[in-house]
Amino acid sequence: MADVVFSNVQKTFGTFTAVRDLDLTIRSGEFVSLLGPSGCGKTTTLRMLAGLEFPTGGTISIDGKVVNDTAPGKRDIAMVFQSYALYPHMTVAKNIAYPLKKRGVPAAERDQMVAKAAEMLQLTPLLNRKPGQLSGGQQQRVALGRALVRDPKVFLLDEPLSNLDAKLRGYMRAELVELHARLGRTMVYVTHDQLEAMTMSDRIAIMLNGDLQQFAPPQEVYRFPANRFVAGFIGTPSMNLIDGELTRAGSGWRFCAASLDVPVGPLNDMAQPGPACLGMRPESLSLGAGEQMAKVLLVEQTGHENIVTLQFAGQIRLTARTTAAQDLQMGADVAFAIDTSALHVFGPGETGPRLNRLLENKSSETDGQT
Amino acid sequence: MSRPNTATPLERRYAMLGVILIAPTILVFCAVIVYPLFSAIYLSLFQIFTPTLQGSFVGLENYQRLFQRSEFWISLRNTLVWTIGTLTLQILLGVAMALVLHQNLWFRSLARSLILFPYFVSTVVAVLVWRWLFNDLYGILNHLMISVGLIDWPLDFLGSSPNAMISVILVGAWKYFPFVVIAVLARLQTIPEPLYEAAKIDGAGPIARFFDITLPQLREVLVVIILLRAIWDFKEFDLIFLLTGGGPLITTQTLPLLVYKEAFALNQMGMASAYAVVMMAIMLVFMVVYVLKTRNKDESR
Ligand SMILES: Nc1ncnc2c1ncn2[C@@H]1O[C@H](COP(=O)(O)OP(=O)(O)OP(=O)(O)O)[C@@H](O)[C@H]1O
Ligand SMILES: [Mg+2]
Repeated sequence: MADVVFSNVQKTFGTFTAVRDLDLTIRSGEFVSLLGPSGCGKTTTLRMLAGLEFPTGGTISIDGKVVNDTAPGKRDIAMVFQSYALYPHMTVAKNIAYPLKKRGVPAAERDQMVAKAAEMLQLTPLLNRKPGQLSGGQQQRVALGRALVRDPKVFLLDEPLSNLDAKLRGYMRAELVELHARLGRTMVYVTHDQLEAMTMSDRIAIMLNGDLQQFAPPQEVYRFPANRFVAGFIGTPSMNLIDGELTRAGSGWRFCAASLDVPVGPLNDMAQPGPACLGMRPESLSLGAGEQMAKVLLVEQTGHENIVTLQFAGQIRLTARTTAAQDLQMGADVAFAIDTSALHVFGPGETGPRLNRLLENKSSETDGQT
Repeated sequence: MSRPNTATPLERRYAMLGVILIAPTILVFCAVIVYPLFSAIYLSLFQIFTPTLQGSFVGLENYQRLFQRSEFWISLRNTLVWTIGTLTLQILLGVAMALVLHQNLWFRSLARSLILFPYFVSTVVAVLVWRWLFNDLYGILNHLMISVGLIDWPLDFLGSSPNAMISVILVGAWKYFPFVVIAVLARLQTIPEPLYEAAKIDGAGPIARFFDITLPQLREVLVVIILLRAIWDFKEFDLIFLLTGGGPLITTQTLPLLVYKEAFALNQMGMASAYAVVMMAIMLVFMVVYVLKTRNKDESR
């Protein structure tokens, strides 16, 4: 059982900053995902925690102990690599036994532990094969087996499912969640797939260009994105983001863009009249009735629902979600209404901060739950 | 070569094309390898005077005489001592140097080109330099060893018995270890870095990482290197001939030197051919062992 604390961690490669001022406290036993687009510093963060990369500033501690100068083998962590990194000349059994052997576990005990891990991951019939003779999913399980055979304090996983096909990925996702529940160990999971992060994590750390954007449970990240980037990154199809102007209206605020003019309710202290961004989830648009008109550009059928792309006021594109039953013709005009109780307002810029008041109330509420 | 009868006309045309394309190679191969091979076997059945190439058929008598001669056995032993000694040094030195050069050193690219130097230098030049270094009157090696107090009296590196063989082995190792460095370095660069990182996390120190990851990954390339170098060292001629000429007496005379002596000093072409054929037979044994070994490995995979 161990918590992991990054405080003020910095990593630069030459003049390039890969991770900037990272403060992150991972609780003991928690499943945390590092999520973000390619090149945002997820792997670098994980590798610093593993001891494969050295921070150029700040401290990392595991279980209250600063590990900046501790060798990877002494940190009591286990890591699953994206490429699995199985030892190609060793059998599956030897691969799984290797970390035990290097820690001086006697052979008899080692065999027992390997057998137990193999059973848990259904690898028993494969123990005498070499990694080259295994499928991707099997290799992935061996890599997991090598990590969990020794019961480390922290598990680190770097996109372990990215090489698997969609079906196997879904299956392994469930397996990992179950494994986490059973072992109760701290797990840090790197992914660029928001579905993985949303479904598996206790909390998600979203990064962009080396900066932490938000660190919160999946529901909170979805419902109260901390800034414009998070809002656009989380959710499929992604949130509609419309640039426009914010104006004061009595005690509240209004947002205008082209012919759109909606009340956005009370905002926080950061709100200022001027350029801003309005965000609305596709599900907060309802088609068929309402005071606004838009043209249907595209209808994508996913089976149980349709994703509809609308063109509004000449240049604004919106995505809406409707039931598959609703019959819409491409090119036709359709009326729509906006659920004004579920609007998000962000400041200008790529990472414009959330301006709704709701954030503070709700985040303390969710914190209380966990 | 049995081809299935089910071949379509197109496949047969492709097969024809293959035969036409490969024919020149086969012809050249026959001219430069198969012909000399059989002519050596043929010549070994005659007693021939080299300058006139006149001789008489003697059957297997050359072979009978050869196995009875102690000179043959001494030369064979010298060949084995030389081959095993120089090859071992080449491999140890080559792998060690490759590991050093594989580290991220700022002078790595410079060192890599420098390391090839002995391999580039023509054997004649290299041997001249070494003979000068080894010289017991004015050689720098003796001078250095005396000045640091290692020896009291100049050593005769090339003219006394075990010294000559040791010197030849050392020069051979110096001359050919760059080949090992280059081949091993090329392989080292293809070993995926995550393997080392995984081993680090699994608690393996630098020495464990070498034996558990680097060495097994190098095994295949080392087998090839050892085989190639063993063949080349086994038939090495110029380096030994120029350095010691086989002496003192015949203590560094290897089989190739014996063949040369028989053919061009004693003018016994038939006998020389017999030696050459025996040499070839010995190398054939190496090759068969190698082929069997690699085949077993492929199957057990
Ligand atoms: N050894 C290195 N030298 C220089 N730059 C590096 C090095 N390693 C990573 N970087 C840079 O640091 C940034 C973050 O890299 P990192 O591997 O952490 O990205 P990532 O978030 O894991 O992306 P991905 O999803 O593509 O794996 C990238 O822009 C990358 O180019
Ligand atoms: Mg990565």
